[in-house]
Amino acid sequence: MIRPIRYSVALLLTAICLPGQAATNVEQRTHEFTLDNGLKVVVREDHRAPVVVSQLWYKVGSSFETSGLTGLSHMLEHMMFKGSKKLGPGEASRILRELGAEENAFTGADFTAYYQVLARDRLPVAFELEADRMTGLSLPPDEFKREHEVVTEERRLRTDDRPSALAFERFESLAYPSSGYRNPTIGWPSDLQRMTIDDARTWYQSWYAPNNATLVVVGDVQLADVRNLAEHYFGPLQRRTIPVAKQPLELNEAGERRLTLHVRTQLPSLLMAFNVPSLATVKDAHQANALRLLSALLDGGYSARLSTNLERGEELVSQVSAWYDAYTRGDTLFVIGASPNVQKNHTLAEVEAGIWRELDALRQKPPTQQELERVRAQVIAGLVYERDSITQQASSIGRMETVGLSWRLMDQELQALEAVTPEDIQAAANTFFTRSRMTLAHVLPLESKPNE
Amino acid sequence: MNKRLAFVGLIFAAHAGLAVSEVQQPVPAAQPASQSAFVAADRLESLASLSKDSLARRKLDIQDWKTAEGARVLFVEAHELPMFDLRLTFAAGSSRDGDVPGLALLTNAMLNEGIPGKDVTAIAEGFEGLGADFSNGTYRDMALVSLRSLSMPDKREPALALFGQVLGQPTFPEESLVRIRNQLLAGFEQQQQNPAKLASHDLFRQLYGTHPYNHPSDGTPESVPGIGIKQMQDFYARAYAAGNVVIALVGDLDRQEAEAIAAQVSSSLPKGPALPPLPEPAKPVAERHRIEFPSQQTHLLFAQLGITRADPDYAALFLGNQILGGGGFGTRLMEEVREKRGLTYGIYSGFTPMAAKGPFMINLQTRADQSEGTLELVRQLVRDYLEQGPTQAELERNKREIAGSFPLSMASNADIADQLGSIGFYNLPLTFLEDFMAQIQTLTVQQVKDALNRHLSANDFVIVSAGPTVDQQPLPPPSDKPIEEPIGVPEH
Repeated sequence: MIRPIRYSVALLLTAICLPGQAATNVEQRTHEFTLDNGLKVVVREDHRAPVVVSQLWYKVGSSFETSGLTGLSHMLEHMMFKGSKKLGPGEASRILRELGAEENAFTGADFTAYYQVLARDRLPVAFELEADRMTGLSLPPDEFKREHEVVTEERRLRTDDRPSALAFERFESLAYPSSGYRNPTIGWPSDLQRMTIDDARTWYQSWYAPNNATLVVVGDVQLADVRNLAEHYFGPLQRRTIPVAKQPLELNEAGERRLTLHVRTQLPSLLMAFNVPSLATVKDAHQANALRLLSALLDGGYSARLSTNLERGEELVSQVSAWYDAYTRGDTLFVIGASPNVQKNHTLAEVEAGIWRELDALRQKPPTQQELERVRAQVIAGLVYERDSITQQASSIGRMETVGLSWRLMDQELQALEAVTPEDIQAAANTFFTRSRMTLAHVLPLESKPNE
Repeated sequence: MNKRLAFVGLIFAAHAGLAVSEVQQPVPAAQPASQSAFVAADRLESLASLSKDSLARRKLDIQDWKTAEGARVLFVEAHELPMFDLRLTFAAGSSRDGDVPGLALLTNAMLNEGIPGKDVTAIAEGFEGLGADFSNGTYRDMALVSLRSLSMPDKREPALALFGQVLGQPTFPEESLVRIRNQLLAGFEQQQQNPAKLASHDLFRQLYGTHPYNHPSDGTPESVPGIGIKQMQDFYARAYAAGNVVIALVGDLDRQEAEAIAAQVSSSLPKGPALPPLPEPAKPVAERHRIEFPSQQTHLLFAQLGITRADPDYAALFLGNQILGGGGFGTRLMEEVREKRGLTYGIYSGFTPMAAKGPFMINLQTRADQSEGTLELVRQLVRDYLEQGPTQAELERNKREIAGSFPLSMASNADIADQLGSIGFYNLPLTFLEDFMAQIQTLTVQQVKDALNRHLSANDFVIVSAGPTVDQQPLPPPSDKPIEEPIGVPEH
């Protein structure tokens, strides 16, 4: 689980001067270059241990999928392990395992990414394997058939048998009325059933090319070495024409939407979301930064407002959280979730009213400077803590580049957050916390479902 | 684990949704090589040109000493980042609950709920205003209390002062107890919808009988409502004593600063000795238990008693398990069950060495209508493996894998703090990691096979399944993959 405060600071980690002390005690340099075929490479030096992470981020994910083809990016991700020109099915994984590497892949709404963490001397192997499957994937039909079964089991495991995930999938399909963010990454069951290997092949040929990817390398490496290796392995690959991918934009004020779901749960819960811009779609970045601080004020730690007032103060909820993901390529959501404290006999209606009390308080009165300083202290410390993991550093760079923001933006993040005033926060609360931007779901136990 | 809820286990619906919106797949299993080693190396120039020198790894200079009150300290200096991690590991896990399941967890959870002059919100504001992360948690063997902070004195010193008060002067306020108890009870209700949890709880009950590992660390709906302040204070005085803790420190501190911090932490704790060792569990009855649950998949858990952390067979069993189902991928189980038959998203096996004998466990989820066939398949795979042992090729591959992953295991400060905590808590030599790696490399097929058979038997499994009762279908035939061959990674 990702804590919201961590989430909001996850990308703040480049070399900036922190008050009183530098973010690192040793110099940590970041470089970027682009190969002739369009592959962008970002290299960040971290010499603490002789290890390296290599991540390859493709600009394609479930929000790119059209009706009937949901789940395709993720299915293709699975097929990327099933062989390419130089390698048989699963062979790359076997080789990496024997090298003691960690490897994996993940698919989201905006991206499909592949990574290896390994001893620094072995980086060339990661590059050769990735380069081979970037344009030379085999896609054998028998492997597709079996992997289709595996993905079907994955959907049962992660969504169908997990009531909270099932509820959130339905909720998002309502909260995003006009953009591809409504698609579940794993795919709707009906789309999974009729997916074919030709769908996967077409998807691969459309989106997998050096000019639609970012290679991120973080670890005990030197720029010149990485550049040579990247040229050597990825340089010969051909550029391709990539379809135009438009930013997923939403209706700002689609009108209040309400949903009642009955799932196999014991406890009721509530989901509330507001349609808001991301850092990539907002006209004035100031507004997105105010939203980030709003999420930190509400749920940036155990002393934040929702925990202090609703969980411990009124004991209205047994759990509550809020988050805002600013790093998406299209318009995004500000989400709040809570469960009523049933031991105290509280209801979803009371929880809904309690959350609105907190939102209205932010609309009516700016936060104090003191409260804001506390939130910022966590952000500043988070900048340092993030650097303890090379994987987190690489993920942040890759995510940022993939959604259309430069990793260099990170250099200005602290200043950007410092520039947000209490009044800006109040203004953002007034703009975005409105009924016409809101989607609300009541998630209830099956037993409470009326007979129809 | 900044917030109470993280360890209470009430992971909220929407959060879970957010986390899984990035659908992640485990690394697919490695296929058996259809080509010989040399062919693979021929096709991959990067592989052929790998250096045969042994791998560089971060040199850990572990320093250790005891505080005046008897706490063991392990320390690694790491000045690259202006931060440090302080981790206290107490022998205060739920195996110390006695006949009050949940007592250890509630005591641990209450530490930061109140100190003289500060309530829970003021404590949280104190840490968070300094950018410090306080966290706590309870497992079967141990309870953890940790602090991560910036190292500059104006942040470090007030954070440590507050940390010392939380450790040394908890007031256990009644209103917090009521709230946390309610959250735990809500968590138990939530667990009723989680077949994996239900199966796991049942498995530990069957496996451990009357041994203190038999119940979940969260406690039970029956035990938690009765736990009172007095019980927690007594537990705290015994289990949070300076003689019962290991202090791990990693980060931007010199030896003198580290000694001062350890001395301050240690002197703030109640005085007292280490708790006595746990008893060893009796051998369980090998039985099958079914939990009826209306899910689409059936969860299958197989377990028998494994080993303690001090067992001399640990290295051989670790290597043996890597081949069977450890690390997840490229293993016999993953190969046969997922890759050749598409029956599951993942299947894993592992020893959990603990203070007393921890479990050896295999777990998977599969479609309900093939669960019985899958169960038999897994049992047969284990039987074959114990009878035949690993092949020489499997042994060599997995030795190389373990050697290759070693540098990754201490790349971050957080990794190092984990290692120090474990070395200290289980009283292992400071050279444990190096020794373990060296021992792995000397093992033979026969030694691994013998060790596996000393500790495991295909007939000894306690098996728990959770899922719906449905008509069973036969398993699909396995895909006709060639058998495993050695692979083309140069030896180190």
